[in-house]
Amino acid sequence: MSDTLTQISHAVFEGRVKDMAGLTKEALAAGLTPQEILDRGLIQGMQMIGKEFKEGKKFLPEVLFAGRAMQASLNILRPLLAQTGAKMMGKVIIGTVKGDLHDIGKNLVAMMLEGAGFELIDLGKDVAPEQFVEAVRREKPDIVALSALLTTTMRSMGQTVERLKEAGLRDHVRIMIGGAPVTSDFACQIGADAYGSSAPHAVEIATQFVQAR
Amino acid sequence: MPLVILACRVLESLMEPYRREAGISALFMEYGLHRTPELMAAALQGAIDRLTEPSVVILGYGLCGNGVVGLQARQHTLIVPRADDCITLLLGSYERYMQEFSAEPGTYYLTKGWLACGSHPLSEYQQLLEKYDQATADWILDEQYRNYRRLVLIASSQAELVACRAQALEIAEFCAARWGFRFEERIGSTDLVKRLVTKAHELRESTDDFLLIPPGGEIKQEMFWRAPGERPAASSGPKHPNL
Repeated sequence: MSDTLTQISHAVFEGRVKDMAGLTKEALAAGLTPQEILDRGLIQGMQMIGKEFKEGKKFLPEVLFAGRAMQASLNILRPLLAQTGAKMMGKVIIGTVKGDLHDIGKNLVAMMLEGAGFELIDLGKDVAPEQFVEAVRREKPDIVALSALLTTTMRSMGQTVERLKEAGLRDHVRIMIGGAPVTSDFACQIGADAYGSSAPHAVEIATQFVQAR
Repeated sequence: MPLVILACRVLESLMEPYRREAGISALFMEYGLHRTPELMAAALQGAIDRLTEPSVVILGYGLCGNGVVGLQARQHTLIVPRADDCITLLLGSYERYMQEFSAEPGTYYLTKGWLACGSHPLSEYQQLLEKYDQATADWILDEQYRNYRRLVLIASSQAELVACRAQALEIAEFCAARWGFRFEERIGSTDLVKRLVTKAHELRESTDDFLLIPPGGEIKQEMFWRAPGERPAASSGPKHPNL
């Protein structure tokens, strides 16, 4: 891996927002593509911080700093991705499910998906199953991404999947779910298509979804 | 078979009178393990595995963000309240927890135990200010709490409510000025905790309120789901969702 990419992933990991613009421009000047910077720099850094957060070695402020640092780089990369005329990867409707007001994780996933070239419709937090149904009908997305931080609210993920089935829309979208209490088994139980264990993992899954079309 | 309590320190004062009366030995674990669920499960498993004699282990925990998921009973029997977290235990029933939750999902709870260990927005803000400049501390705190709308102090008795009130009001004032939280007080119920300590070990099978994990068993997340509407529907989806 190039030194600049290593430096970018470390700057994300350490949340050094001020260094991001310089490092990103340096990487571009060295001939790296926005896609390479995203995949091997930014996402790498987010994977590192996510792992240490789960292990209790880093805390929420450090995760927020990393997200902010990634955002600073994406602000430069996004217009470039658009300029290259790269086709949008696909459309994603994302939201934190009903009864849940936590949106830090959802916002990180949205930011990373957008950076990876997806078109994002962010329904926000405390989103009722009916609102997801309505948005799917209106926006015709490829993917629906559901987030929950509480074991109390993750149950309404299943209700959202059920409502989409009842509305005859279930088979038109791929559904991925995530959030601290969510598990792969739970995704299976409620009939979702995938479980994302982290924000970078969510990007990986979404990419596989659209490539499998 | 000997009874052993393995519980979060946040529940210590609530469990203590019943525990002492019944003469049950107890190990109270540090606060806040739920923040790293995998480490919490490892810490609890370690404590369970150190019990040499086959015992009935009364867990003073809820699902706690999956912090009890994967716990192996080994040669013991585990009893765990069928609750999402300690708020259910403090309010006295799952129904009451759901009532409060439905009334205002954006509720931040204060309890005697959580006040004692300094787990609340005001003390977090003070800690952030020791580490970061004010703008950064403000940003971190706002990211975490701006979506909440209500602060609720739960106490197990009127006396406890009075004892905690001054500190809770200071936090309430801070949260109201910052995010417009409203402040409410609730007197919980000791019913669930009392039954957990004094009665649950007599159970022969799981009930609505308590899960019984027999020797050789393992705690699983879905054991905590209750009403049919809450249980995940049978899947018609793919069998391997983890791509």
